[in-house]
Amino acid sequence: MPVQLPGFGEWVAAFLTLAVFSFLYRDNVIYRVAESVFAGISFGYYVGLARINTLQPNLFEPLFGDFSNHWILIFPFVLGVMLYLRYVPKLAWISNWSLAIYIGYYIGVNLTQRLHGEILPQAKGTMLPLAGEPFGQILCNLVVIVGVVTVLVYFFFSSPHRGPLKVTAKLGIYFLMISFGASFGYTVMGRISLLIGRLTFVVNDWARPVVQSVIGS
Amino acid sequence: MKWAQKLLLVDRRIIFLLVFLGALIPILSPIGLIVQVSPPVRAIFDRVERMQAGDAILLSFDYGPSDGPELDPMANAILRHCNKKGIKVLGISLFPLGGVDMAFARMADLTRDLGGQNGIDWVNLGYKDGGQAAMKLMGEDFTAVFPTDADGVPIEEIPLMQGIRNYGDLEMAISLATSVLGEWWINLVNAQFGIDVAVGSTAVSAPKYYAYVEAKQAIGVMGGMKGASEYEELVERAYPDLAGLSRTATVGMDVQSIVHLVIIFFIIFGNIMYVLTQRTRREGI
Repeated sequence: MPVQLPGFGEWVAAFLTLAVFSFLYRDNVIYRVAESVFAGISFGYYVGLARINTLQPNLFEPLFGDFSNHWILIFPFVLGVMLYLRYVPKLAWISNWSLAIYIGYYIGVNLTQRLHGEILPQAKGTMLPLAGEPFGQILCNLVVIVGVVTVLVYFFFSSPHRGPLKVTAKLGIYFLMISFGASFGYTVMGRISLLIGRLTFVVNDWARPVVQSVIGS
Repeated sequence: MKWAQKLLLVDRRIIFLLVFLGALIPILSPIGLIVQVSPPVRAIFDRVERMQAGDAILLSFDYGPSDGPELDPMANAILRHCNKKGIKVLGISLFPLGGVDMAFARMADLTRDLGGQNGIDWVNLGYKDGGQAAMKLMGEDFTAVFPTDADGVPIEEIPLMQGIRNYGDLEMAISLATSVLGEWWINLVNAQFGIDVAVGSTAVSAPKYYAYVEAKQAIGVMGGMKGASEYEELVERAYPDLAGLSRTATVGMDVQSIVHLVIIFFIIFGNIMYVLTQRTRREGI
């Protein structure tokens, strides 16, 4: 069976991938073109997506198609339009009202979310038993407790770090360093994964079919 | 030692080339290294495994193409697992740049590989703006957030959605997440609605999720390509008939291992050369 050449999309994607990789050699025009294409397409995609997936089904269709049952949507619609008045210098102040409501809503949501969903459960998660468990588990629990306390002490700036406070804060720094090391290791893995993704595409979806079709013919 | 100083000033493009070769060779010829499964990944697998046929889960595609190499294999493995168990998958996306298309692509993979049907085995409800607001509203009524699926079919006409009104009708929610979205699923949806939440995250974000697992706010976490390869391994062990299907994360971990060895070599090499040049400087050679 003859091997098919990659489609137009694969050629474009492979070209843009190699264009971005070319930056590793040195900055150049092709790289900057690829970068600009990416930024432009991403923004266009987002605008289109927001219109088709959110504005159309959740606002325009119910508001203009069935006004009597969805008249309340007039408020978010007007608030949304008001946001754009910041581009009219004389009326820019009106957009602050929309922003005030937006910020107020998200402060309310976040306050409960952080307190109820993060601070309290995470505090509870550090209240661990130091007896009545297998030795290994007790050791793990101890590391968690000491780590949390010493790091909190490190971030306690209301009194100078001297004497026992200095020693505890120093231990906190070691815990932080280990945590940064783990994060950095994961970050390296994440970046290599992106390289793998692109290389796998270039090799398996573009270069291999091209080579095979050339050899095959 | 002048040679040590010269080696310290090696052109970084040579290092790029070696990393490139380290990545390319295992892609052309996979090694097949063994995958060790970690408890946070096994916990997610076991939770899905305990479900019954006909149960439903929510799978949120909160990532875009740039995170595909890490999160696509997770999506494929979870979808295959759910398909084998007869679990319905409700796909949504709260990430703007590509999430809805990643969902379509992965569900198309499932249909191609195992024959899952749109509207019956899976549904893609599409993307919604608003993050936390959408998450909160789904706790009351999915229809208020997603009046139609991503193809414009009204929710009421989708067989899979019959009997599913809010989180209370689902077994669990899995977010394949970049940015802060995975955290919101835990500290908002799990905390306020009580539904089990698991996160498949990019490697960059993975460390912070282990704190949520330790505090029992999330049932498990899959961290980056390593987490994805572990889930692939578990699914294939449990369902050997899936062995012929692609395991991109497992192949990717071969590459990871080789590239990491190259990086570790250069870290050690760079430090040795640095120590040698410092000693030379001190001794005035």
